[in-house]
Amino acid sequence: MSAPSGVRAQFTPEQLAEVRRLQGLYPDKRAALLPVLQLAQDTFGYISLETEEYVAGLFDLSPAHVHEVVTFYTLFFREPTGRHVISVCHNLTCHLLGAPRVLAYLEARLGVEIGGTTPDGRVTFLSVECLCACEMAPMMQVNDRYEGLLTPERIDRILEGLR
Amino acid sequence: MAELILTRNFHLPESRTLRVYRATGGYEGLRNVLAMPPATIIETVKKSNLRGLGGAGFPTGVKWGFIPKGHASPVYLVINADEGEPGTFKDRYLLERDPHALIEGMIISAYAIGSHLAFVYIRGEYVHPWRVFSAAVQEAYAAGLLGKNILGSGFDLDVVVHRGAGAYICGEETGLISSLEGKKGWPKLKPPFPAIRGAFGAPTIVNNVETICHVPPIIKRGAAWFAGLGTATQGGTRMYSVSGHVARPGVYELPVSVTLRSLIYEHAGGMPKGKRLKAVVPGGSSAAILTADEIDVAMDVDGLKNAGTMAGSAGVIVMDETVSIPEALMVVARFYAHESCGQCTPCREATGWIYKMTRRIVEGKARKDDLDTILDVARRGAGTTICAFYDGAVGPYISYIEKFRDEFEALIPHA
Amino acid sequence: MPKLTINDKEVEVRAGTNLIEAARQLEIEVPHYCYHPGLSIAGQCRLCMVEIGNNPRPQIACNTQVAEGMVVRTETPKVLEARRSIMEFHLINHPLDCPVCDQAGECWLQIYYMKHGLYEPRMVDEKVHKPKAVPLGPHVILDVERCILCSRCVRFCDEITGTGELGIFQRGDQSEIGLFPGRELTNPYSANVIDICPVGALTDRDFRFAVRVWYLETAKSICPGCSRGCNIEVHYNLRRPHHNQGRRVARLKPRYHREVNQWWICDAGRYGYKFVDDPSRLLFPVRRVGSQAVEISWEEMIPLVAAQFSKYRPDEIGVLASPRMANEDLFLLKRLVDHLGVRNVDFRVPPRTPGDEDRILIKADKNPNTRGVELTGLSSGDGGLDARRLMSAVRERRIKCLWVFHHDLLASAWPEGEAREALGVLDCLIFQGSNQNGVSPFAHYVLPSATWVEREGTFTNFEGRVQRFWKAVEPLGASLPDWEIIARIGQALGLGPMPVKAEDCFKALAAGVGAFAGLSYRELRDTGKLVPSEGGSPPPFRTSPHGIAPAKPALERPAGSDP
Repeated sequence: MSAPSGVRAQFTPEQLAEVRRLQGLYPDKRAALLPVLQLAQDTFGYISLETEEYVAGLFDLSPAHVHEVVTFYTLFFREPTGRHVISVCHNLTCHLLGAPRVLAYLEARLGVEIGGTTPDGRVTFLSVECLCACEMAPMMQVNDRYEGLLTPERIDRILEGLR
Repeated sequence: MAELILTRNFHLPESRTLRVYRATGGYEGLRNVLAMPPATIIETVKKSNLRGLGGAGFPTGVKWGFIPKGHASPVYLVINADEGEPGTFKDRYLLERDPHALIEGMIISAYAIGSHLAFVYIRGEYVHPWRVFSAAVQEAYAAGLLGKNILGSGFDLDVVVHRGAGAYICGEETGLISSLEGKKGWPKLKPPFPAIRGAFGAPTIVNNVETICHVPPIIKRGAAWFAGLGTATQGGTRMYSVSGHVARPGVYELPVSVTLRSLIYEHAGGMPKGKRLKAVVPGGSSAAILTADEIDVAMDVDGLKNAGTMAGSAGVIVMDETVSIPEALMVVARFYAHESCGQCTPCREATGWIYKMTRRIVEGKARKDDLDTILDVARRGAGTTICAFYDGAVGPYISYIEKFRDEFEALIPHA
Repeated sequence: MPKLTINDKEVEVRAGTNLIEAARQLEIEVPHYCYHPGLSIAGQCRLCMVEIGNNPRPQIACNTQVAEGMVVRTETPKVLEARRSIMEFHLINHPLDCPVCDQAGECWLQIYYMKHGLYEPRMVDEKVHKPKAVPLGPHVILDVERCILCSRCVRFCDEITGTGELGIFQRGDQSEIGLFPGRELTNPYSANVIDICPVGALTDRDFRFAVRVWYLETAKSICPGCSRGCNIEVHYNLRRPHHNQGRRVARLKPRYHREVNQWWICDAGRYGYKFVDDPSRLLFPVRRVGSQAVEISWEEMIPLVAAQFSKYRPDEIGVLASPRMANEDLFLLKRLVDHLGVRNVDFRVPPRTPGDEDRILIKADKNPNTRGVELTGLSSGDGGLDARRLMSAVRERRIKCLWVFHHDLLASAWPEGEAREALGVLDCLIFQGSNQNGVSPFAHYVLPSATWVEREGTFTNFEGRVQRFWKAVEPLGASLPDWEIIARIGQALGLGPMPVKAEDCFKALAAGVGAFAGLSYRELRDTGKLVPSEGGSPPPFRTSPHGIAPAKPALERPAGSDP
């Protein structure tokens, strides 16, 4: 889910209370940086530079060090994504059991290259490393859930369910 | 059929709930355990020959014993649920289907090492497992199994569930600690080791999910029982994740003395579609590959080590005759290049370079010396890095080429 | 203190010393990139491998502390092979920029490759490409491809300046040093990252493409930018006068001093040399009669100036000494004014903008020798007028002859109109300085001074540390060191015998001024000495935990891994 452009990256008072609660769980408040960035991403849809500066302020960190964290981890999106994010595993077992075909099929069905977002903003389509669901290879992560034993029919059904 | 310990509840509906866990004997006797001297618990775990099941295979009781005596600072227990080793999915099953086993294991382990604050680091992609486990933690708190004065024992334990954000290197124990501390997942220099100076500068024990799940049965049924289930140097059962070209991919809990042949053919249903076995990765992608002739080996830590590979995370990837080993190496090399944290020079530079070379091989653009260059670069970097990630990459780099050299050379255009 | 053996030589060092420093005490070099004695341990480059005891695998030396009885070997076949391997890893993606890279000649990839690499390159794939020539701030420019990701610059901005501007973004071989997008590297010490960068990733915008370092020569000196007195080196180019736009002084570099400035210098000090080779330099003695300014020789000028002092009564004469002058100059001036009986002597001209100060190096007093002026007694006392009252007396024509050293009175905190009036109304204004300024056009007699890099001498810093600076280049034109001009005037006024070199002045100073008793150029060496009566102050920030490093000139061991 992406936020409309131009929205200012600020938490509500309730969210700020949650930030403080998270910071209090750890011996060093900096440890709450990842959960707070996740909260920001869930709220604003992605993590803009403005959001990074804002979060840096909440932690007394230099923005450069927040930027380091955001650019290091693959689950932080630095640009708006589609309403749905599909991540296809391309690691060893999935590769052996047909991931290249799954990728090609999705490219064709979605009309977008790996890494891209469909023009209607519906789906962001990624190719990722092992999701540790090899028993259901070839598989992909669709938003929060794993979908495996993929066939063209299964993929079609999944895509139909994504508004 | 050997007794199931870790997976005994998996088939039960709502096995993830406190109700079902208790109905099958979970948390029974915990109050008594929390009255035992912590040193006794550590001794029992040592004698059980329980070894780390995340990848390194280090004796768990010995690791716990490294916590300095008489220290002034807090001790932290950190559960490594950043399962990421390709071919491995067992921890996901434990989090989803028996989260209370992990919680009970954490309570006993924390008590043994003197920790009152435990962190469970779950990889960010595991959303459903995170939700299930978090709900179980809530149940435990509500039932007085976590928090202050657990079951009236006087022992306090808080659990913080912490999500990762997508980086395989956060499965390395000090990479995990760095990430837990709110930084990039850069592993830390050792020494000092985490038991001396770990998370937030305090003594820390990092253990895999499955390892900790073994602790309640060990304490309740005894070290000798657990040790007797396995081999001379590793006790108990473990969960083998089997995938690839097998009829029945999935998790198999078996005594660690099981052979790879038995695992593939007896338990996982053998090769589908009548194909022949070509190769097996026995312990996650970082383990050296085994040929079809090398599968009569016991799947315990020392058995596989003596066979020139490793038990690792027990992620077993089965490959049939249709597999192109050079292509498989390219896929694996791509993985290591993408997941290298970049902190130290040999790994950062070599993983990217070697991936480029494996790609050229698969594309038919390799040069005559590329194979020996890959082997040489792999060897030159091994043992020189901050953590064992690069050594994990070296496992496949060297074994795939050495054991299937002909197949690689066939792709190299001759001058 | 633990005793250990390195390459069969025994050495005893403080507990907590790491093996790089322990080896250094035996003058054994352990090559390294990411280690720096002034920064935390990173252990990232993996170059400092050594063999320890019976461990079959070499270990990094920077993160290993000495232990009693430890046996270390730094030149075994395994170590040499490890170094060669690590060099290859470092060069896999490094661009072949040497022909266009300023670091050439003082680049640690070059140096260590020639010493520890010398392998046949076999990387034929496309290298990773990253941004090049990215200005980070006013002084520093970044080439991300050249960066070996040693993280020294990141640690500097975190640990020394506490500003945290730099980070390492992304991961794997896509890792990049950089600023938070849209920000600048503007902390007052930003250019130190250039010194500590072992390669040409962070280079000096001021020095970019100016002159090749192998043409540079070096002289030890002291920064004249404030009263801290940071130890520096002056790097000058005489061999290729058509490079660097003809300027002789090419750059200043910090010189390690444990108490004064450790490894660092502020940006203002680092770039405070431009006035030396500037068109505004005063090159010849000038006599102004009316609106006519005529260049004359010293032989003509000296008697003219000396005669002025006979023309006026001592109480009609004023002298504004400068805390930019060296101790040698000040001492001779004091002798001269005492000889003349002139009491209206002071030095305190307040700057228009008060100086800033911080808790790292920068002092609010932007003069290098205020303590020197105070200790040589050139401030008003004994009934003489202080600077403010001196200027009033000038305007009231009670003072008719004024000798101004270096000050730009029109740029001071005093109302410009009053200063102008004073300068305009003087019968005799003598200006002695190195560059044209607001005062020099008013002067009847302009005496051109050599700048501090053009002569030797000493400054006394804020804590009373007397420190030597050496001569780098010859005085431009006919300019002379201040002490020499004063000596010639003194000689003409019968104040003899006159010193022949700066050291003569210092000897007389040590003999004549109690505060400097017992000091000599030899005593001062290149680390200076506290004036005996002063206690000194604690070092500006934490002393390096990694052991003391000996001070070696920058060009001998290129700026990078050694202090």
